[in-house]
Amino acid sequence: MNFWFAVIRQTGRNLRQTWSSQVMTFLTVSLSVLIFAFFSLIYTNMIGAGDRLTDDLSLIVYLEDEPGEAMKEQLRRKILNFDEVEELRFISREEAYERFAKQLGENSDVLLDMPTDFLPASIEIVPLKSLRGYSQIKLFSEYLTSLPGTEKVQYGQEWIERFYHFVRLLTIVVILSGTLLILTATFMVAYTIRLTILGRQDELELLKLVGATNSYIQTPFLIEGILQGLMGSVIGLIALYGLFQWISTRFTGPGILNLFQFDFFSPLILIAIVLASISLCAFGSYTSIRKFLQI
Amino acid sequence: MEMEAQENTVQQKLSGNNMIEMIKVSRSYPPDIQALKDISFSVETGEMFFLIGRSGAGKTTLLKLICNMEMPTNGLIEVAGYNINSLKGKDLALLRQRIGVAYQDFKLLNDRTVAENIAIAMEVSYKKQRAIKQRVRDLLDQLQLTSKHDLLTGELSRGEQQRVTLARSVANSPRLILVDEPTGNLDSTTTEKVMDLLTRSNKAGATIVIATHDASIYENSNKRIMELRDGMIHSLVRGNTI
Ligand SMILES: Nc1ncnc2c1ncn2[C@@H]1O[C@H](COP(=O)(O)OP(=O)(O)OP(=O)(O)O)[C@@H](O)[C@H]1O
Ligand SMILES: [Mg+2]
Repeated sequence: MNFWFAVIRQTGRNLRQTWSSQVMTFLTVSLSVLIFAFFSLIYTNMIGAGDRLTDDLSLIVYLEDEPGEAMKEQLRRKILNFDEVEELRFISREEAYERFAKQLGENSDVLLDMPTDFLPASIEIVPLKSLRGYSQIKLFSEYLTSLPGTEKVQYGQEWIERFYHFVRLLTIVVILSGTLLILTATFMVAYTIRLTILGRQDELELLKLVGATNSYIQTPFLIEGILQGLMGSVIGLIALYGLFQWISTRFTGPGILNLFQFDFFSPLILIAIVLASISLCAFGSYTSIRKFLQI
Repeated sequence: MEMEAQENTVQQKLSGNNMIEMIKVSRSYPPDIQALKDISFSVETGEMFFLIGRSGAGKTTLLKLICNMEMPTNGLIEVAGYNINSLKGKDLALLRQRIGVAYQDFKLLNDRTVAENIAIAMEVSYKKQRAIKQRVRDLLDQLQLTSKHDLLTGELSRGEQQRVTLARSVANSPRLILVDEPTGNLDSTTTEKVMDLLTRSNKAGATIVIATHDASIYENSNKRIMELRDGMIHSLVRGNTI
């Protein structure tokens, strides 16, 4: 008979003896994995959507007056002083008018009575890809506002602001649910293993007396923790995948999900979640072993 | 490899001259119970040794000290050449695998079958499953418990439990067997069976220490008999000379 045979049989005995609390622990672990993974999934998708959204972001700086060549050069220098940009284009009042007329198309005759310079001149700036964080864009826009002769900077502030506010909220939720996962996984596993250990004091005592090595006695409890972590996370993630499928079939058609192109986790992240759950549960069982299995 | 080497040195020491060596050993319990006082004696390897004395004389305490279930308050105890109180971890486990103990309070797992209870002693040293089954059957046969193989030990009579405990203590063919009151609940025929089993183990090379009240099992032997009285050695004589 070898070590692993003995250890696995002992693990089976432990699981059978405390199966009801094992089931409870297993459910708690998978539920917390489900909750955590659910919010992380939304979070990563939001971040992805945010990236795509800011991909075609441009800032428009409205100017008080039509700038002369010298002024243009000065503005260009000042803007480039702050940061390199992807694209920088001056739009004169004339151009703005023509564009607007083009946009109106057939209805462009409403403009007939208007002077061709009723629209302000502006600068269109496409920032560098590296400057795509919300706070950086905001800083940039504040800088642009402070330039001489600028009236107003526009880049869909409200929309972006709301979006990033939501993402910030989501970050907190992900952190909270991650903490929940850590606490429940470690505590529940530590608790059930403590239950098993206390329920078998006699046997553990006897095993020591007949010369069982520490690893012979401890390994089954460690395996129990690892199993809880593995099973809990796998089932939790399978449940999440089911939920994901259900949501994506139910909400096809025009809507926010189509806009955002909702993706499931990559295999690498799935593995990372499972491994994290296993290590947490193993840690939980380890603390119980340390505390209650004085050898 | 390392484990084998470790086991080899345990093996060598186990076949040394003295299996048990006690020098000025005392054991007291709070508040001021002196269970053992100044005990010095040794048991040779391969010997069968009787430990007698009235109830409360300290027999069980002495056996517990030998198998390191308890620590002496004072003195030195060597088992197989090892200072048993300084052994730890794997070394202690390996030595314990070579010491079989039949406890006065049995220490059986009452929710396990008779066969499982006996097997535990062999499982911890990773004996083959087939060998374990065979050995369990043999022992139950010798102790007339064959029909109890699959019963839970909690359902047995005390005399039967006592024999299961004995079977567990000898199952792993240990080099040292400590038996505490092995015949207390047994009739004379069964007592004989128990003594036969112990004698056979002894002939096979095991050192055996038997603590008992039962004069019938030692009075006609030529083994050494040590009598404790109030925690002290009252006499140490060879049988047939009393
Ligand atoms: N854990 C303990 N705490 C306090 N006193 C103890 C403890 N164990 C044993 N004693 C005391 O030590 C003395 C010796 O006890 P021990 O069990 O060794 O006697 P014994 O010779 O085995 O008796 P018996 O023949 O009845 O089994 C007794 O007086 C007992 O009360
Ligand atoms: Mg006793």
